[in-house]
Amino acid sequence: MKHEIIRKEDLNPKDYLMEVKAPMVAKKIQPGQFVVLMTHPKGERIPMSVQKAENGNVTMFIRKLGKTSVELYTCKVGDHFENVIGPMGNAVEIKKYGNVAVCSDLVCGHAENYALCKALSQVDGNHVISMQTFPSKEMMYLEEELRGVSDEYYITLEDGSYGIKGHYRDVLEKLMKQGKIDMVFAGGRTDEYPLLAELTETYNVPAMVTLRPIMVDATGMCGSCRVFIDGEMKLACIDGPMFDAHKVNFKELLNRVKLFKKQEATALENYNKTR
Amino acid sequence: MTKLIKNRVPMPELSVEERTKTFNEVPLGYSEEQAINEAKRCLQCKDSPCTKNCPVNVDVNAFIKELAEGNFKEAFLKIKQDNPIPAIAGRVCPQENQCEGACTMGKAGDPINIGKLEAFLGDWARKKGVREEFAIKEKDQKVAVIGSGPTGISCAVDLRKYGYKVTVFEALHKAGGVLQYGIPEFRLPKKVVDEELSYLKEIGVDIRLNHIVGQNVSFDELRDEYDAIYIGTGAGAPFFVGIEGEELNGVYSANEFLIRTNLMKAYNPEYDTPLFVGKRVGVIGAGNVAMDSARSALRNGAEVYILYRRTKEHSPAREEELRHALEEGIHFMELVSPTRILEENGWVTGIELVKMKLGEPDKSGRPRPEKIEGSEFTMELDTVVEAIGTRPNRLFLRTVPELKTTSRGIIEVDENLENIGGVYAGGDAISGGATVIQALGEGRKAAKSIHGYLSAH
Repeated sequence: MKHEIIRKEDLNPKDYLMEVKAPMVAKKIQPGQFVVLMTHPKGERIPMSVQKAENGNVTMFIRKLGKTSVELYTCKVGDHFENVIGPMGNAVEIKKYGNVAVCSDLVCGHAENYALCKALSQVDGNHVISMQTFPSKEMMYLEEELRGVSDEYYITLEDGSYGIKGHYRDVLEKLMKQGKIDMVFAGGRTDEYPLLAELTETYNVPAMVTLRPIMVDATGMCGSCRVFIDGEMKLACIDGPMFDAHKVNFKELLNRVKLFKKQEATALENYNKTR
Repeated sequence: MTKLIKNRVPMPELSVEERTKTFNEVPLGYSEEQAINEAKRCLQCKDSPCTKNCPVNVDVNAFIKELAEGNFKEAFLKIKQDNPIPAIAGRVCPQENQCEGACTMGKAGDPINIGKLEAFLGDWARKKGVREEFAIKEKDQKVAVIGSGPTGISCAVDLRKYGYKVTVFEALHKAGGVLQYGIPEFRLPKKVVDEELSYLKEIGVDIRLNHIVGQNVSFDELRDEYDAIYIGTGAGAPFFVGIEGEELNGVYSANEFLIRTNLMKAYNPEYDTPLFVGKRVGVIGAGNVAMDSARSALRNGAEVYILYRRTKEHSPAREEELRHALEEGIHFMELVSPTRILEENGWVTGIELVKMKLGEPDKSGRPRPEKIEGSEFTMELDTVVEAIGTRPNRLFLRTVPELKTTSRGIIEVDENLENIGGVYAGGDAISGGATVIQALGEGRKAAKSIHGYLSAH
């Protein structure tokens, strides 16, 4: 089954949006779940976050990072690519959390931020606070849409050129100090998670983070995405991808995501040479 | 009385030197003449010990008799009566424990090379486009088969022959299950798998790829839509040893190593899948999957060590795999068991092993390996592949609490392979891990049970 590209837009110089026809996935996918992409029959299987699933289409946010995502960017609206498989992983329980913060500082996280805020804001008793972090103003996206699906919205830029200067954690800390946060969901940079875990633990606020270790089949077969939760081996693909931030062994995770850095760099270099 | 020919017609094989460079199949296959000569060695024993010792009771005498007379088509059709995938089974069955193990010729010399003759006929039919022909009397009832591995394939074929509408649900992007993701090209070329599977489509089996029951298709939906269900979900989840250092970069489950190699073709530069294979690879375990991992690593240019807690003669691997592995220069370390994986900066640098000795026989009948206290030693490695077995995947099972399973996630079945009403299971999902041919036999048996069930409803 080939998937037609319906919409493709630049989000910023590094990230782009792609909406593809994937009726079976769109019908079933819930916030927290993800899809596996294959651009062509000889392509790799890579996990991808989903922002929206409407009218039989799935919208993904993708960073031009490796060979697959760079190659996919060359596709045009109307082109078809090999596979969008899923949904994979577990859905987040959509229920009353009270004051719930949804935070993101990287492309995959921003996509999930929208999906989660939209679902959580439909539950009575939730006050949904969306937070985003970008390096600079030219990298920003999704502000308007997130304002539309949340009760409160904060944007922090690392260079301070807009909104609040700093990281979303700075805002989170302020609100937690005032006792205004009951629950945190976060997605994005793995290297920022340990700091988030430490901070939320200090204020005794539960926090769930989306883990994105390397995956192959994403159905529990290969064990590549093994993570250690409270010392126990779990598979992010079928046990996650969201886990309690206070229980994750981030040191191991941050090491494991480096596994194919060399191969990935070579693949991209070789691909760029052929273009 | 014909004169006994004690020795087999030798199977031509790829040279050891070539094998270390390519993933091409190692046995090159018999020519027509060689196959006929090998078939002529058969004594045509009246009591057919070969057939009795075959999990699907292929009529070995009958197919070999036709083959010896040069009637390839008739010989092929004889096998197909009992085995829908001869080109595959001929390559992967542990014949030395089954048909060939019981062969009378084995007492006087070499047993008949039944496996290679079966593969020869399967290949001959594929090349000539010869098919088994039968008329299907269509029925209205629909059966869902979960998983397109050996057991799902054989069940689907038989159900189709009975006339049912059959839909196979496959989670991955290619059909074949373990034949596709697990067994390497040099042992079972994927062209053979794809062609044998194309037969399913020809007879009208609907194979739906990327359909993950429990994720994007629910079991309840299948229950509503289909009149019966066959579960052939296999045992696709890896076991890890559970020692220190398994989180390190450079540690793979054999499943990951082989999925990247076979399904995702990491060895072929045309494919995008990355795989890191170091210079010194240690493979824990000594079964077929360990041999497949070791030989794949070797073909990636590594020096490879099998680390096994028993001795070679207790290895559960097929005789041919073990022989090929040793010929290719894989080092077989006996009586060692891993205790921890060593590291530097998050990457594997070695392994600590403890020496073992063989004790009294355990439940499997093999001597129990026992630790020799204080005998720990280390060796340098940069890659570790754990091939200590697999178990049924909990992804599917956790969504169907109504199914009866053991605490280890093995699906329980009665003598008709039925679990709950109208739901049948077979293959590794009910055994925890066995052979392709056993899975195939269970698929056929389940098809018969399902036919009985649907005829009564």
